[in-house]
Amino acid sequence: MRRVPLMPNSPNFSETVRLERERRGYPRLGSPMIARSSLRGSYIWMAAPALAFAVAMIGFPFAYAIWLALSEVILGSPPRFIGLGNFQRLATDPEFWNGLKLTLTLYALSITAQMILGTWLGLLVARSRYAKGLVRVILVSPFMLPPVVIGMMAIVILDPSFGIANWLLAKIGLGPSLWLSDPSTVILTIAGLDTWQWTPFVALIVMGGYLSLPSDVFEAVEIDGATPWQRFWYVTLPMLGPTLVTAAVLRSVDILRFFDVIYLTTQGGPGISSTTLNILAYRRGFEFFDFGYASAIMVTLTAVVFGSVMVFARLRRAVAW
Amino acid sequence: MVRERVARLFDGVQLVVVLIVLALPIAWTFLSAFKPRTEVAVLPPKLFFTPTLENFVELFARNDFLHHTINSLIVSTGSTVLGLALGIPASFAIAWHRLSWPATATLFARMAPGTLFLLPWLLMFNEIGLVGSHLVLILTHAAITLPIAIWVLLPYCDALPRELVECAQIDGARADQVLRLVVLPVIMSGVVVSAILSFVFSWNYFLFALVLSGIETKTAIVASFNFIGEGVTNWGALMAAAVIIALPPLILTLVIQRRLVGGLAAGAVKG
Repeated sequence: MRRVPLMPNSPNFSETVRLERERRGYPRLGSPMIARSSLRGSYIWMAAPALAFAVAMIGFPFAYAIWLALSEVILGSPPRFIGLGNFQRLATDPEFWNGLKLTLTLYALSITAQMILGTWLGLLVARSRYAKGLVRVILVSPFMLPPVVIGMMAIVILDPSFGIANWLLAKIGLGPSLWLSDPSTVILTIAGLDTWQWTPFVALIVMGGYLSLPSDVFEAVEIDGATPWQRFWYVTLPMLGPTLVTAAVLRSVDILRFFDVIYLTTQGGPGISSTTLNILAYRRGFEFFDFGYASAIMVTLTAVVFGSVMVFARLRRAVAW
Repeated sequence: MVRERVARLFDGVQLVVVLIVLALPIAWTFLSAFKPRTEVAVLPPKLFFTPTLENFVELFARNDFLHHTINSLIVSTGSTVLGLALGIPASFAIAWHRLSWPATATLFARMAPGTLFLLPWLLMFNEIGLVGSHLVLILTHAAITLPIAIWVLLPYCDALPRELVECAQIDGARADQVLRLVVLPVIMSGVVVSAILSFVFSWNYFLFALVLSGIETKTAIVASFNFIGEGVTNWGALMAAAVIIALPPLILTLVIQRRLVGGLAAGAVKG
C-alpha cells in the first residue's frame, strides 16, 4: 500500500487514519472499545479510602443514631427496641416543645437580622472603594474566631455589673440589661451574638454575588432614570436571588444546629430559657445518659435541618434567572 | 454632583460605624488581655495602661495551658492531614468520573448536627477503648475536615483540563504519578485553601473534644471552657486565653482572606 503523507488538511485524511488504524488492529473510532481503552483509565478506586472513612465515621453512626432513637437504652444492659416510644415521649414532653420553640425563635430572629443586615452591608462594601484590604480583614475576623472566644467575650463584655456594655448603655441614658442572665432577653442576646459574628459572612457572599452581576443591566436602568430605591427593589434584589438563597441555606443549617456559643455562655439557662433542641439533646444524652431519648431529639433536629435545606432548594429553583 | 458626594459620604459613615461595631469587641478582648489584673474590670475602662504579660504568665503557670494548646495543634494538624489525604484523591476521582452523588453525600455530612454523631461515636470508640486518645479526636475532627476538603477541591478538580491527564496516561504514568505530578501541582492553590480552612475549623471545634477528650488530651478550646465553668472570675487570664486560641485562626485566615468566602460557600454557589 502506498503511504499517503498524513496531513490533516489532505482530502483523504480521515480515510487514511481509518485504514492505518485497521492495519494496526486498533478498534474502530467511535466504537465502544475506545471508551474502555487505556486512555480513559479508571480512577474511581481513588475515592475508596474516603468512602470507607465516610461509611465508618458518618454513615454507620447515622444509622446507629436512628436505631438508638428507636430503642430504650439503660446503661449496663443492651439497648432494647421499642419502636416509636421515644418519639411518643417527645410529643408529650414540655421541654421538647420549649426547645423547638426556642430553636425556631432563635432561627427566625437570627436569619432575618443576618439576611437584611448582610444584604445592606454587602452592597455597601461593594460600593466602597477605600481601604478594601482593611475592610475585608475586619469583615472576615468575627466569623473565623473560635466560638469559645465569642462566648468568653460575651461573658466579659455583657456582664450585668462589670461589663462594658451596660456601662455604655448607662452613658447614653439607657437602663442596664441582664443580657444572658435574664430569661426574657437571653435568646435575643444569643441571636445578637450570632448576628454580630455572621452578618459579615452574609455580606461577603452578597458582595461577591453583586460584583459578578452583568453591569449593562445597571447601565440600562440608570438611563431609564430609575430611583436608587427602584433599582434596588426591581433589579438588584431579584438578580441577587440565587446568591441570597445560598447564603440563607448556609446560615440556616448553622443556626438550627447552633450549639457552642449557647452551651458556653448559658448551658441552656437561666432555667431552661435557652435550652434549644441541640442543647436539650446534649444534656439528655451526656448529662442524664438517656441515650435513646437524646437520639430521638437529635434525629428530629436533623429532620428539621434537612427539611429547611429542601425548602431552600425549591426556593433556589424559583428565584433562578 | 453634590447629591452623589453626599451619598458617598453617607456610605462612608455607615461603613465606618459597622467596622467599629465589628472590630471593637475584638480589640477590647486583646486590650484586656494585656491589662494589669487590677484594671481589667475597672469602670470607666482605662484606655491607657502599662501593658503587662502577667495574665499570660498566670494562664500558662496555673492551667497547664501550653499542654492543651499542643493537644489542639496535634488534633488540628492530624485531622487536616487525614482529611486532605483522603480528600485529594477522592475529589480527583469524583471530578474525573463526573459523579454527582458524592457532592450530595458530602453536603449531608456537612449539614447534619454534630450531636447526632456524638452518641454513636462515644459508644463505638468506648467499645474499642479509644475514648480520651488523640486518635479519636483526629478521626472525629476528620469527619469535619474531609467534607471541607472535598467541597473546596471539587471545583478545582472539575476545572482540571482532561488533556493534561490524558497526556500523562499516553506517557505511561501510573495512577499515583498522575496524582502527584500532574493533578496536585495544578490544584495546589485549592489544596492550600482547604488545608487552612480545615485547620481553622478543626481548631475551633468544641463539641467533639468536650465529650471525647480525656484529661491528658483536652484541647485548648475545651480547657478554656472549663476555665469559664470553674467560676473563675479572673477576667485577665480569661482574656489571655481568648487571645491565645484566637490567634491561629486569625493569622491563617489573613493569609487566604481573598479566597476564604469562596471556599466556604464553594459548591453551594454552584447549586
